[in-house]
Amino acid sequence: MIEFIVFFAFAAVAIIFALVVILHRNPVVSVLSLVASFFSLAVMYVLLEAPFLAVLQVIIYAGAIMVLFLFVIMLLNLQHREEPATRPVQQFLGYTGAAVFGIALVYYIAKYAVLKLPGTPFLSDARRVGISLFQAYVLPFEAVSILLLAAIVGALVLSGRGAVAQ
Amino acid sequence: MTDWTDVGLSVLKIVIVLLFVLNVTPIMVWVERRGSALIQDRPGPNRVGPFGLFQSFADALKFFMKEDVIPAQANRWLYILAPAFGLLPAMTTIAVVPWGRAFRLPSGRLFEPIIADVNVGILVIFALASLSVYGVTMAGWSSANKYSLFGGIRASAQMISYELSLTLAAVSALMVAGSLRLTDVVWRQTGYFVLFDRLKIPAWNAFSPAMWLSFIVFSVSAFAETNRLPFDFAEAEAELVAGYHTEYSSMKFALFFMAEYMSMATMSAVITTLFLGGWDVPWYNEPPTAFGFAVSVLAFLIKVSFLLFVFVWVRWTIPRLKYDLLMKLGWKVFLPLAVVNIMLVAFFIVRGWI
Amino acid sequence: MIPTHWFLILSAVLFAIGVCGVLTRKNGITIFMSIELMVNAVNLTFVAYARQFHQLHGIIFVFFIMAIAAAEAAVGLAIFISLFHHRETIDVDEANLMRW
Repeated sequence: MIEFIVFFAFAAVAIIFALVVILHRNPVVSVLSLVASFFSLAVMYVLLEAPFLAVLQVIIYAGAIMVLFLFVIMLLNLQHREEPATRPVQQFLGYTGAAVFGIALVYYIAKYAVLKLPGTPFLSDARRVGISLFQAYVLPFEAVSILLLAAIVGALVLSGRGAVAQ
Repeated sequence: MTDWTDVGLSVLKIVIVLLFVLNVTPIMVWVERRGSALIQDRPGPNRVGPFGLFQSFADALKFFMKEDVIPAQANRWLYILAPAFGLLPAMTTIAVVPWGRAFRLPSGRLFEPIIADVNVGILVIFALASLSVYGVTMAGWSSANKYSLFGGIRASAQMISYELSLTLAAVSALMVAGSLRLTDVVWRQTGYFVLFDRLKIPAWNAFSPAMWLSFIVFSVSAFAETNRLPFDFAEAEAELVAGYHTEYSSMKFALFFMAEYMSMATMSAVITTLFLGGWDVPWYNEPPTAFGFAVSVLAFLIKVSFLLFVFVWVRWTIPRLKYDLLMKLGWKVFLPLAVVNIMLVAFFIVRGWI
Repeated sequence: MIPTHWFLILSAVLFAIGVCGVLTRKNGITIFMSIELMVNAVNLTFVAYARQFHQLHGIIFVFFIMAIAAAEAAVGLAIFISLFHHRETIDVDEANLMRW
């Protein structure tokens, strides 16, 4: 009973703040709304019996990636950029196309994707994720570490700092 | 069917913890001002009540009476929301910290003095620590003041840098406990190290040969996370006027002030739980009764108070680091030390010495 | 327990909102944030199915997606910064030459 209340409340929060992200002029408000949306998604993960992933979502997405976005917006002083309304035809097509897409998806999921719930609870704690990462998924794990290294080096080079070696 | 006794007990626990967290600020204000006076060889506040004990009331009255100014060019909503961002992580992190020994009530029910004994307890603390960056950043940016912006950006860059060494230093304590729950971490520390077949040292992680280094790294990173001297670039009293809370007055400044002391108390509680044995009374086996519970809560409070006093002591003893030295320390010294410590603890565990 | 298709519907709605943001906004950083919203909607789908079929693979995949999204955010924002330094704008309509 209380699960349903929590689900509807946080689903509403997620959707409302997602709408604020795409509709508001000021990019700083968009970033903070996206943080709120991610937080409510973390609550969704807790409802789906994956608390480890919920905390990871808050740490990585809301705590690191969004801080990065916020720094870039603040440092480039982008909050006063007005977006003049050009391309009205494309904007209208964009809104209607996305709306049609969304409505069609929701309709078909509600009609065809109804599944029976499993009876037993799902155990996904850190121990099992760790064992799985180091046994079955060890190759993607190592590849992701190299990917992160490449991202760090790429970001440094692109922002010009990597050249300050002399 | 809701278990109303459970709900009632949870509400009682929340009330007790809130009382602790909300009362830390007035007490710490007094301790800070008298303690700093003691270190600097001057009397300190001694007019308001005996030994200046009612100074906090006078301060609170001043905060209520001051005019609440909002700068004209500030972004109104974010300016008002920023203290809330700073306060929320400080107040909610203490929900996963165990503050006493579990004991049996007369009805046979087990009373566990922790509000939320989640399986991923320590990660909740890290998640809320990373959310506290937003308070500083938003305060600095929404004030429409160059000095606030600089203070806010420097402080948030420092906080995200030291989060890394904080997290990695805590991992070594978790590896030994084998679990992410803080109650398991504390239970692991209730044993003894036996030296020379005679001397029993309590098995706190700070005394362990593999984890004393991560204790030091974690404590120093906790100083950096809570923006206390020697890492207080957020305030930087002589340099940036008052850093990110320059433009804040009366109640909003009081909220930042409270948030700083609350996060100090929370970090002390976390350091105690991870490294100083939490509620464990050394050399005494607490029975699972109300008496054992009371003794363990007293031990926890003594340890947290000692750490809070160390926070105040360090603030008035050590000068502030230069900003680039601070960042170098975080990235080039503490991060490698924390990683080395993880490898050391892993080595000890594999060899079976822990 | 909450039926799985409710989570799928929420995920579909968030994905559609993200698509709308990508198609209609001109600010490059807002477009990037809409992409992150789409990625999170897909994460929610993965976790919903992981719970439905009791498989840990969904959780592991979301783990990897989060790591990749972090790397992508870092590099993407570095690209935006260098675009901004050259052109003084992050309006994606202005970046319409292959080289300048």
